[in-house]
Amino acid sequence: MLRKHALLAATLTLLTSFSAAAATTVIVHPSNAAALDEKSVQRIFLGKEKKFSDGVESIPINQVADSAVRGDFDENVLGRSSAQVSAYWSKLVFTGKGVPPKEVSSDADVIELVSKNPSAIGYVDSASVTGDVKAVSLN
Amino acid sequence: MMKRILALSLVAAAVSSSVHADVRINGFANLIGGITSSDDTLYGYDDNIGFGEESLFAIQVSGDINDRMTATGQLVARGSDDYEVDFEWAYLTFEATDNTNISAGRFRLPLFRYSASLDVGYSYHWVNAPRSVYSVPFNNLDGLRVDYSNYAGDWEYNLQLSAGTIDNDFTTAGQDANFKGDNVIVLSAEAQYEALKLRGVIGRAKSTVDVPALAPAIGQLRSISPELADLVEFEDDTGEFLGFGVEYDAFDWFVSAEVTSIEATDSYNPDTIAYYATAGIRYGKWTPSLTYEATDADDGPKLLDRVAGFPAPFQGPLTQLLVGIQQSFVEKNDTITAGVRYDYDTNVAFKADVSKYTDDIDESSDATLVRFAVNYVF
Repeated sequence: MLRKHALLAATLTLLTSFSAAAATTVIVHPSNAAALDEKSVQRIFLGKEKKFSDGVESIPINQVADSAVRGDFDENVLGRSSAQVSAYWSKLVFTGKGVPPKEVSSDADVIELVSKNPSAIGYVDSASVTGDVKAVSLN
Repeated sequence: MMKRILALSLVAAAVSSSVHADVRINGFANLIGGITSSDDTLYGYDDNIGFGEESLFAIQVSGDINDRMTATGQLVARGSDDYEVDFEWAYLTFEATDNTNISAGRFRLPLFRYSASLDVGYSYHWVNAPRSVYSVPFNNLDGLRVDYSNYAGDWEYNLQLSAGTIDNDFTTAGQDANFKGDNVIVLSAEAQYEALKLRGVIGRAKSTVDVPALAPAIGQLRSISPELADLVEFEDDTGEFLGFGVEYDAFDWFVSAEVTSIEATDSYNPDTIAYYATAGIRYGKWTPSLTYEATDADDGPKLLDRVAGFPAPFQGPLTQLLVGIQQSFVEKNDTITAGVRYDYDTNVAFKADVSKYTDDIDESSDATLVRFAVNYVF
């Protein structure tokens, strides 16, 4: 059922993505029941919050800088360009105040990691979402 | 069950390898070149193109001692020091809670908005942070710092309390000098609401500034009046620092400003107010910006009212000495800078700017400077 929904969603996304830029979907482990909105996702990905709303440790998984989905996530969810996000992290890294999220190079890698770890949170192109992970609506 | 936990923790370790890795190596570099209009000098540049004044290369190594403790060291090679490598920061951080960090060692004092990343050119839109505000001789502290960050509703805030000592060689009014600060205590607070960020800082230290070139004049003064010499001397005097900053960053455009005040009442050091205001637009990879900065350390010589209490023959020499000692530290100038940043990549930026410096004390010091820079982080 979930899979069918995802497939339908994927198909719809594929269709719409011809007219609009690829949409990004935030994903978590299927068992993750924490409340998530755009603000809390921002805080987790910017290292300001280290736990989900239910107290479970959160581990953000980023995509590599030159991927389209990363650019879309940075601009639409974090509200900054990738260069600005990188400048933000350079401030934290070089003051020992934070370590940027680990980067992986494909939607499949993100899904693989998120599907196996209840603490993980990632984002993928909406068309890539599978039933192994839970899509989060930020609205 | 056991197996499952083991499997999960292995994956978790793989996912968070950057968090729990043994040693992380990061680095940054600023290659900055500049040239002034003919016969002018500014920030060490002259009318021959120079690359050494502000360029630097740095490597940071940090390692996790355990789940809650990290050791960090930063090696910096500055062009102005002939690229001699120096351990500028070395500290241990203890993560007491998710919101509280305690650091001990040598680190940057959080006086300004960009204090912590002052050397990381990639982190800001300027070629270099405005000198009027940022160039103080007490940037690094040996001691302790407690960081607390949290949020309440949509407000995010951060408090930092630092305490320790400062010992730093620097140059003032063209002379070699040394700044020593004891019992340094600095409290800074930052709050952010959506695009708005506010920042306040207050600090004080028992300060001593030793300028060997001043010793003869202070010696002469002491032979007439030990009391006046003690007052004009900058030794174990309370120095006070106040700062306020505001920023509004709407992503497509931003404005920000900082103002600072430095006072050391019983010393030759003039009370100094410095500020800047900057605004920029982000247009794709381009960030053009304008910055106005100024320093005002021109309140007139201190202590002259005391001269009247001395017998007439001493009044002339005393006035001359008091004015002479203080005059070289008087400053009043402003600078306008137009610059542009180009984000070549998420770890490389190119920049160029042109600055027009106006000196209200000495017109012949007016200068125009053109700079260009490459910033790199890894």
